Amino acid sequence: MIDNISPTKTFPGGDGSRRHPAESPPSSTAGHRRGRGRIRATLEAYLLLAPSLAGLLMFLVAPIVGVVVISFFDWNLMGTPRFVGLANYREMMGDSEVWRAMRNTVYYVLLNIPAQTVLALLLALAMNRKLRGLKVLRVLFVLPWMAMPVALGIVWSWAFDPQRGVVNQFLALFGVDGPAWLSSTGWAMPVLASVNIWQYTGYTMLFLLAGLQAIPESLYEAADLDGAGTVQRFFRITLPLLRPSMFFVLVTNTIGSFQMFDTVYVMTQGGPGGSTDTMNYHIYQQAFQLFRTGYASALAMLLFAVILLVTAVQLLYFRKRTIYDFS
Amino acid sequence: MSASSRRVLAATATSALLLCLTTACGSSGSDTSSGGTVTLRYAIWDAVQEPALQKSVAVFEKQHPKIKVKIELNAWAQYWSKLQTQMAGRTAPDVFWDHVAYFPQFSQQNVLADLTPYIKADKLDTSIYDPKLLTGWQQDGKQYGLPKDWDTIAQVYNKTMLEKAGLTQDELGGLSWNTTDGGSFVKALQKLTVDDNGKHPNEPGFDSKHVKQYGLALGSANGQTDWWDAAVQNGCKLQDKAWGKWTINQPSCVKAIQFVQDLRLKYHVAVPASVTNTPNGASLPQVMARKQAAVVWDGSWDLNAYQSSMKGNFGVAELPSGPAGKGTVYNGLSNALYAGSKHPKEAWELVKWLGSQESQKIIVSQGSVWPGIPTLNKDYVAVWQKRGVDVSAFSKEAEGTTVGYPLTTSSATYNVKVQDAFNQVWLGQQSPKAAADSVNEESNAAIK
Repeated sequence: MIDNISPTKTFPGGDGSRRHPAESPPSSTAGHRRGRGRIRATLEAYLLLAPSLAGLLMFLVAPIVGVVVISFFDWNLMGTPRFVGLANYREMMGDSEVWRAMRNTVYYVLLNIPAQTVLALLLALAMNRKLRGLKVLRVLFVLPWMAMPVALGIVWSWAFDPQRGVVNQFLALFGVDGPAWLSSTGWAMPVLASVNIWQYTGYTMLFLLAGLQAIPESLYEAADLDGAGTVQRFFRITLPLLRPSMFFVLVTNTIGSFQMFDTVYVMTQGGPGGSTDTMNYHIYQQAFQLFRTGYASALAMLLFAVILLVTAVQLLYFRKRTIYDFS
Repeated sequence: MSASSRRVLAATATSALLLCLTTACGSSGSDTSSGGTVTLRYAIWDAVQEPALQKSVAVFEKQHPKIKVKIELNAWAQYWSKLQTQMAGRTAPDVFWDHVAYFPQFSQQNVLADLTPYIKADKLDTSIYDPKLLTGWQQDGKQYGLPKDWDTIAQVYNKTMLEKAGLTQDELGGLSWNTTDGGSFVKALQKLTVDDNGKHPNEPGFDSKHVKQYGLALGSANGQTDWWDAAVQNGCKLQDKAWGKWTINQPSCVKAIQFVQDLRLKYHVAVPASVTNTPNGASLPQVMARKQAAVVWDGSWDLNAYQSSMKGNFGVAELPSGPAGKGTVYNGLSNALYAGSKHPKEAWELVKWLGSQESQKIIVSQGSVWPGIPTLNKDYVAVWQKRGVDVSAFSKEAEGTTVGYPLTTSSATYNVKVQDAFNQVWLGQQSPKAAADSVNEESNAAIK
């Protein structure tokens, strides 16, 4: 019965206590039971891991530590960094442009994530059938995700051109005078969000589709016997059992949306009137156009803190309710 | 060797190899020397000028078989970010285009090589250059680049459209504007502006929402090809003095900015800002190629872009005169030598070549840009004469009232602030005074 499915935790760092004995980590080959062999095995393992570990240290850990350190300095990349303590953080608190960028970013995330997730779910439900031709459709939906964001930005800029753009020409067919999308403080951000929704919905759909296909048929058969209708089946079986995939796409897409950069950079450069100046674009501008590396690092820390908070909330929400074991 | 130690050895080798693949083992990263050949990197930002430069560089490589030159093209919007990031990482190109907007910062940061010792050693005759251009690249008696070219702004027009409106090149160049009724300039542009029903902006029933052809297109990320010129023509000074404070919020400047806004929003004779604003707008040559406008204000560096899309169907007239008379922005670029270059001797050879009569003749023969060597100016006019275009408006203006590109240490801040604020002015979302005030204040705060 569905009610008896007990939650299990398999988060990284979770205790994984309910692991099935058969799933214990694979032990190394029998020959390595004695001490020396074990050391050698460990050495071998670390040697094989070395390239990725080195990459991780050099390209991820070191830059992160670097950003933390630089955020306490005043530095233009060229001269000698000057230690300024918390001055960057103090300036940040009183910088209206930063808060505008933060508001813009949150607005973008709110435009983006719900629409994208609902759309992707509907698509996944539609695709989760054994019909001919659906495979082709799936590929078509995922295509935008494979394209280069910068190239897409340029193409979409053409599409939204007020006079010659495809969008307004289409609207003109119905006698509608389309606005100057990217030049309007009200429209620019929704346009950026819709470009992003168009780009990532297919990708999100893939994950949800995989989640749908992992739900055992037997549950639906049991529900049928109990006399559950389509709506009930969706809300009592499909949605609860989709939570692991939902959790994954929501967390990763939210983080991604908070860090949105390329679409802004190509299509609006933060304009008009700063209405699309998002946190990440603002950080770029401070760091690589104005060369205020220290200040930009402090802003990066702020963005990190906000994303961490949002992700933590999502984690807590899903943690209590997520089921991974469908047996 | 036991089997397992062989495995450890294999693993070590594999990881070492992979590490090499990910971190560029052993190579310096900047440029490679192989068999005694040196490869120099040369950074530029204008795709329109690249073909002419390729021709010049090919001759240089023939003369110096031991030197190869790789041209690196980065669009203006990314050029400075990229260059300064590379400088911070000590991997900047050996030779690169320099601009007066960024020259001051660079000379402060010691990233430009002083060419004086090279000039002395090679007994280079620098008197061939326009003194105005040569001294522009000097600071504290040091020479930080050799003049590459010069440019002014003029009116590029569509011949067919101008004829249709019954205007000649001289008439177009002789127009004048004022801030009360727009003057003869606006009257001419009204003739050149037509809506879908064939009506002009000064006629009743004109539909400003559906304009087929505009009289004028203006576009500029910083002001150089639009409101700076109008400002000079209204007697406005962008700065109180070279290296001084920005003064773009004084009445004479604000009135000029207001006039440029009026061309779009009040008179409806200029292409809407939603079409020409950076970054989502079209470039001026694109607007002309699409036949959206009859006239544009643009710099001489774009001539080849018009040639490729309008083949002989365009001409060049002087800018109109404003309440204070004629005026244009005069500027030039240099080729600079990176102080951190690993091959300074070879890089100097390239800088010297690019500044030489021989190279500038090649550039001129392609009609690319006005030369840094004044004696070649007439050759440039002749090249364009052959193509059926009279480009003398640019040089006539250069002899008249000009304003140089503002000399300041706050270029980076100014460029960031001016784009967003003035995009809003042209869209009618902000008043000229408010935009000028805010850009002025923020730019002055950034002066070092």
